[in-house]
Amino acid sequence: MGEVAAQIPTSFGQELRACLRCRLVKTYDQFRDSGCENCPFFKIDEDPERIVDVTTPNFNGTISMMDPRRSWAARWLRIGKFAPGCYALAVSETLSEDMQSLCQEERVQYIPPKRI
Amino acid sequence: MPRHREEDDDVDEDYDGLELEEEEEEDEGGSRGGGSSRQKRGRSSFFDDYAEEDSQEEEDDDDEDYGSRRGGKGAKRKKFSAARFVDDIADQVDDDDEEEEDGDGEDGFIVDTGTDLPDERVDRRRYHDRGFDENDEDVDDLERRIQERFSRPQEDYDEEATDVEQQALLPSVRDPKLWMVKCAIGREREVAVCLMQKFIDRGSDLQIRSVVALDHLKNYIYVEADKEAHVKEAIKGMRNIYANQKILLVPIREMTDVLSVESKAIDLSRDTWVRMKIGTYKGDLAKVVDVDNVRQRVTVKLIPRIDLQALASKLDGREVAKKKAFVPPPRFMNIDEARELHIRVERRRDPMTGDYFENIGGMLFKDGFMYKTVSLKSIIAQNVTPTFDELEKFNKPSENGEGDFGGLSTLFANRKKGHFMKGDAVIVIKGDLKNLKGWVEKVDEETVLIRSGLKGLPDPLAVNEKELCKYFEPGNHVKVVSGTHEGATGMVVKVDQHVLILLSDTTKEHVRVFADHVVESSEVTTGVTKIGQFELHDLVLLDNLSFGVTIRLENEAFQVLKGNPDRPEVALVKLREIKCKLDRKISVQDRYKNVISVNDDVRIIEGPSKGKQGPVKHIYKGVLFIYDRHHLEHAGFICAKCTSCVVVGGSRSGANRNGGDSLSRFSNFKAPAPVPPSPRRFQRGGTGYNARGRGRGGRGGRDDSLLGTTVKIRLGPFKGYRGPVVEVKGDSVRVELEMKIVTVDRNAISDNVAVTTPSRDTSRYSMGSETPMHPSRTPLHPYMTPMRDSGATPFHDGMRTPMRDRAWNPYTPMSPPRDNWEEGNPGSWGTSPQYQPGSPPSRAYEAPTPGSGWASTPGGSYSDAGTPRDSGSAYANAPSPYLPSTPGQPMTPSSASYLPGTPGGQPMTPGTGLDVMSPVIGGDAEAWFMPDILVEIHKAGEDSEVGVIRDVSDGTCKVSLGSSGEGDTILALPSELEIVPPRKNDRVKIVGGQYRGSIGKLIGIDGSDGIVKIEDNLDVKILDLAILAKFVQP
Repeated sequence: MGEVAAQIPTSFGQELRACLRCRLVKTYDQFRDSGCENCPFFKIDEDPERIVDVTTPNFNGTISMMDPRRSWAARWLRIGKFAPGCYALAVSETLSEDMQSLCQEERVQYIPPKRI
Repeated sequence: MPRHREEDDDVDEDYDGLELEEEEEEDEGGSRGGGSSRQKRGRSSFFDDYAEEDSQEEEDDDDEDYGSRRGGKGAKRKKFSAARFVDDIADQVDDDDEEEEDGDGEDGFIVDTGTDLPDERVDRRRYHDRGFDENDEDVDDLERRIQERFSRPQEDYDEEATDVEQQALLPSVRDPKLWMVKCAIGREREVAVCLMQKFIDRGSDLQIRSVVALDHLKNYIYVEADKEAHVKEAIKGMRNIYANQKILLVPIREMTDVLSVESKAIDLSRDTWVRMKIGTYKGDLAKVVDVDNVRQRVTVKLIPRIDLQALASKLDGREVAKKKAFVPPPRFMNIDEARELHIRVERRRDPMTGDYFENIGGMLFKDGFMYKTVSLKSIIAQNVTPTFDELEKFNKPSENGEGDFGGLSTLFANRKKGHFMKGDAVIVIKGDLKNLKGWVEKVDEETVLIRSGLKGLPDPLAVNEKELCKYFEPGNHVKVVSGTHEGATGMVVKVDQHVLILLSDTTKEHVRVFADHVVESSEVTTGVTKIGQFELHDLVLLDNLSFGVTIRLENEAFQVLKGNPDRPEVALVKLREIKCKLDRKISVQDRYKNVISVNDDVRIIEGPSKGKQGPVKHIYKGVLFIYDRHHLEHAGFICAKCTSCVVVGGSRSGANRNGGDSLSRFSNFKAPAPVPPSPRRFQRGGTGYNARGRGRGGRGGRDDSLLGTTVKIRLGPFKGYRGPVVEVKGDSVRVELEMKIVTVDRNAISDNVAVTTPSRDTSRYSMGSETPMHPSRTPLHPYMTPMRDSGATPFHDGMRTPMRDRAWNPYTPMSPPRDNWEEGNPGSWGTSPQYQPGSPPSRAYEAPTPGSGWASTPGGSYSDAGTPRDSGSAYANAPSPYLPSTPGQPMTPSSASYLPGTPGGQPMTPGTGLDVMSPVIGGDAEAWFMPDILVEIHKAGEDSEVGVIRDVSDGTCKVSLGSSGEGDTILALPSELEIVPPRKNDRVKIVGGQYRGSIGKLIGIDGSDGIVKIEDNLDVKILDLAILAKFVQP
């Protein structure tokens, strides 16, 4: 195992949210307290207001990624480079343009969810 | 990144071990047969190793990005390798020194899994392995080079996550597999999270890679692992997993399906139409009022289903019967009604919106609607297409009378791809350009380029497709492509904003559809007219022993007009509720004890439908189903008791001679159906019997080729009987058998009809006249005309021919449109070629009847002209026993095959042309020839020519030859002239009816009707084509 895992959700219900960029799933409180492990540049822990901007409760399916480096699923979902943890299979919202430009500034990839 | 490296070593001992193993194996020369899984793991660890080392060297200072970079490398390499793969192998075979390429290929293998077939891959691996064996010492060098190659900034990785790239990620045999594991229902996500936690706690004990929990799949989770044993190990001791259940392997090609969940990214915004998923309102349409994305709740308004009585008692604290056997129908809340029931109604102002709501027992109402806040999960937002009725209901209380379907734009959200096509007429419905009309030039995703043709506007103009709606004009012929009427075709008769009213080709009923749901089409389908063994207009027996005629088809159900003579009763009947089809041939007696059989014309003389008249289509239990095409309800069917009707066969002439009684009002010149009056009827002398007698007298001698001959009946209940023919009528003959006269089908007798005599022809003639639907019969006419001239009464002749001529006309112009149809729908018109040849003869036919002076036909005469109407009944019996005797006539093939395919074959059509024109006939003194119309001149012994009538005086026309009247002017008799049928978009002059003399534009043709936009007032009228002539500007 290569690295430190992200926080694991402490509950399984409605309070779960998924990061709009990396799809990491945690509870609202976890995001508030420690931000997103994959997307520290969102600085959620510094500005908790941002939680609603960069995370969504609107996601579909979860995957507990134990070993993203060696998992086919991780590769398929393009989360192979993220920390182990729980991820959403799909999120249903897009990052706001502000946040997308933030991603650009940080030179990180943002792939908006595919629309049906 | 030493920390990671260490971790790897500590935690993943297996990992390094494997790598070693692999190297050893490679020394053996790549002859590893069985250990595929080991191999695989070796491979991937190998790869990982490289990747890790890359990362280490590049990014020691950047711990955060560690993970992502590594992945990035992999993906990039894959890109490279894919391109070089082919060379790669070739090189390897003969030149093992191509180390770098090899390395590249190697990486490609691992990542670029999806593009190759597994077997191939194994082969290549062997090559590979060999390469490695021989160049073991170069591995370090290789690594270095790879690092060099990929040490570019990582931003350029997966810049575009295209589908193609995703394809490259497809799983291969060397990837971990997915295993389906049963778990407790509702605990799927929990199990996945717990396994994650377990993994973290236990470290690399667990050799599973990931666990997937799908929202839509209950009872199962997926575990990604190399071996089933790993899965078993991981789930051991888990509370919510049934460890003793079988673990199922997901086939490799289904692996991506597991992970491909639709993102439910639908814009749920105000005014979106949704449907309720659960509860009392399940399936009901609702409109989104507010969305709370954070709480995952949505406020919708819908039509309440509230039983006020029950509510009142509940609020009173009284016991409410728990058994909710029925769901109250949707009904707008009436606050006053509620108050009357002493239900407490509070009026409150919503602090957020400032709107007032009536609060009843915690439920909020406004304008009769109920406002309900529900979880996002309890509504369906995708593919919600409200039906017309629903929207209409929803709009009721707004009372703005505009009929603007409020959230119409949201309807468009559910449009299918490719909704607009090049050439579509569209109208802008939103924004600055609202009401701008144009044509679609190009469709580019959501943007539609339209050409407006307006000056000052750029052409083409880019408009969002959401701001566009299809646009149609009256007269367009369209096909409905979605919604409840899907598949139907018809003519647009009215455009009301985005709502079109169509005249359906099938039912001749008005159908309201959204403009958005139709496409212009010249195709004429009869729509679905058949479900199972039941067809439209069948008489069916229902479960509860009631019966009725199917008058409309809906989804898997028929609308049935029940056999209830007292009042029209229509029931929606599911297919399974229909017991059987009734098609027994029964005869009943009318009020005057005349026999009524199917296809006889009857008039209803009492009851709610008094005065209506038409052919009997079905008879059952003394109830008649009469088809009157002027009856707009119930597809034209009327139900009546047989005793409330009289057969009108014989009464025609008499009635019409008296002029303008109910008969002519209904303009039904329907001839008696094949049942001729029996001798008994003779004696009883029903209404107008005598008149009939006289009418027959007129034609008398002509029908009688069989009369008096002794025939033998071949088929039917009277098979084998012989007897003299006492009467010939249409396709039936009456044969006297042992003093008993019966009616049999003409086909059912074996007569000695091989006789081909002139008189035969005459009788044929009468048949022909009865079946105007069979254009191919017309060739007959030429030879009977002389016959008639000599034999038949002049009176007869005079009025008949022109009438007929008119009668035929409607069909003549049909041929060109037919051509179009054929283009539009080649498959369905197989019969048209046969049909078409029939048309010209109909023209030819009239030629040999010069100077018949029909214009002077007295009013009464048209009763006889009505004969063509016989078609209504006769055409059904297309094949006639005469056929064999009249070889060379194209009639049978066409007449038989004509019916099913062509639109004219619809039961109502025969009537159409004739009926519509009957007013013309009625006002017979009216001459059709008028100045400035294009005619065809048929002078005896000359080729026909076209010309333009310039002047009319004393029944003689001055005609200028040439299609625009530029040639010589000649004199012609009207009988030598024939209207040149106008085509679509021609300017026409109306030569008959109340619009006689008006000029308009023919904007559409529907069977024998033309849709004319009259130029004076721009009114759109549906007129018989027979009274339309091509207008030529003087």
